Amino acid sequence: MNQKLKKIGLPICAFVAMITLWEFAARIKWINPFILPEPSQILNSLIQDKVELWSALGVTAFSVTISFGLSVVLGISTAILLFTSETVLYAFYPYTIFFQTVPIIAIAPLLVIWFGYGIPAVVASGFIVSVFPVIASTLTGLLSADPALKDLFRLYGATRMQALVKLYLPGSLPFVMNGLRISGGLAVIGAIVGEFLGGVGIGSIIDVARAQQRIDKVFAAVLLASGLGLLLIKLIDLTSYVLLKNWHPSEGSEE
Amino acid sequence: MKKMMICFLVWGLQSASWAAPVKLRLALNWKPEPEFGGFYEAVHKGFYQKKGLEVEILPGGVGTPVIQMVEGQKVEMGISNADEVILGRSRGAEVISIFAVFQTSPMALLTHEERGFKELKDVFENSGTVAAERGLPYIQFCEKKYGFKKVKIVPFLGGISQFLSDKNLTQQGFIAAEPILARKEGARPKTFLIADSGYNPYFTVVVVRNDFAEKNPDLIKNFVAATQEGWRSYLSDPSEANARMAKLNPTMDPETFKLGAVAQAPLIQTAETKKRGLGFQSKERWKQLADQLLEIKVVSKTFPPETYYK
Repeated sequence: MNQKLKKIGLPICAFVAMITLWEFAARIKWINPFILPEPSQILNSLIQDKVELWSALGVTAFSVTISFGLSVVLGISTAILLFTSETVLYAFYPYTIFFQTVPIIAIAPLLVIWFGYGIPAVVASGFIVSVFPVIASTLTGLLSADPALKDLFRLYGATRMQALVKLYLPGSLPFVMNGLRISGGLAVIGAIVGEFLGGVGIGSIIDVARAQQRIDKVFAAVLLASGLGLLLIKLIDLTSYVLLKNWHPSEGSEE
Repeated sequence: MKKMMICFLVWGLQSASWAAPVKLRLALNWKPEPEFGGFYEAVHKGFYQKKGLEVEILPGGVGTPVIQMVEGQKVEMGISNADEVILGRSRGAEVISIFAVFQTSPMALLTHEERGFKELKDVFENSGTVAAERGLPYIQFCEKKYGFKKVKIVPFLGGISQFLSDKNLTQQGFIAAEPILARKEGARPKTFLIADSGYNPYFTVVVVRNDFAEKNPDLIKNFVAATQEGWRSYLSDPSEANARMAKLNPTMDPETFKLGAVAQAPLIQTAETKKRGLGFQSKERWKQLADQLLEIKVVSKTFPPETYYK
């Protein structure tokens, strides 16, 4: 009980202390609020612009959900496809790395020209940056099945499909979940970059507020965006826990 | 011989070359392009040096927060626009403008000639798409004035590729850049100045912190004089500075530099600047702009116009 109290109480105390210090530093002009707004100003923007901010957050959340969903489905199926045939793996794996290295900020204007303004370009942007970790980690998971178990499956004459469903896929699950954690955060970043030019959502608010020198509003929007990322990652954690708690050591230690 | 030495001595004292030159950093809000020609000219022709100033020009890019950089003392001087100065002031930045390059704002809208628009009003009162940088006050001003009933405003992606591929698209641009580039690519752009709407902020203004200007009145005077000399020289022959800027910014070709310098000249040198000097700023213009920004609610408070400039 005492330990639990410490675990929750201490971060809250640290948070309150930091915010108070920051506010204080701004009030006595150590920090210029025009460069870095004080917490109360950010809070004020969160309240004052709440309708605009929250409806934009809804649009962003929608785009993030779709791009992340696409990444999960297409990323895992691509990895399975690559895994089933060595020829396909050698032929195409190098090109999946393209998604990892593409400078999204540079091609975002093109995405708008290809897919049009609004959500389609945003989803494309979020998908491009978030699909690679799913492919890479799923593939690693599939390739690292226990050799002893592989022998066992072969000895009992399991078909390739049976091996895939009963051995390789479950075995890769911890890797997949890890990939999804990375991918979730990236999907939010990718979507917001897309929104700078797509003209919707939180990214659009950040873009406009910056031009209007509303740094407080920029911070408020950034805060909501990171909240969205945090929520997504927590949901992935929860899924991971539910799926793995009964058999995998990575989640067993939770309780 | 003696006479000559005295001569040198006097000359040396006058030009203050005994004292180490004062170092100034000037942050641009965009890459080296003709709209900064006079500053590069003044550096390379030694006009600043003659006044005991060592000016270092720092090129900018998309969204360079110049006012914040000046306010935060990351640089001594920066290039901004009059509306951003008023906006910055209303948010608590203590900055003022000391030189205004463009008497008429070079911000323009490009349409395709095929659409047959005659004036700025036609762009906003007909259907079509306008790609404009959001958050900039001019678009809010135009919305209030023309009421965007049929036209759709979309974010500006930069460059002109969108414009070239869509005949119904109007986009924002700089009189000295985009129209010239579009024509080179085979389009037939028709350009309207935003200033025609009545929204005409001084453009490419030099901003400094207010306390910096108050503490160094002579330095400011010298900087302004050298900058004027730089612009006079650039206006009469931009070729040398253009060549230097083209080297720093290879994305713009020499031909565009040349045509851009010609296109912008009448917006910099006007009947008024001939009388009162390049870079001139008037109380009336600052007041008008502050009132306009107040009216479209971009700012919620303004200051006396004479506090925005020096």
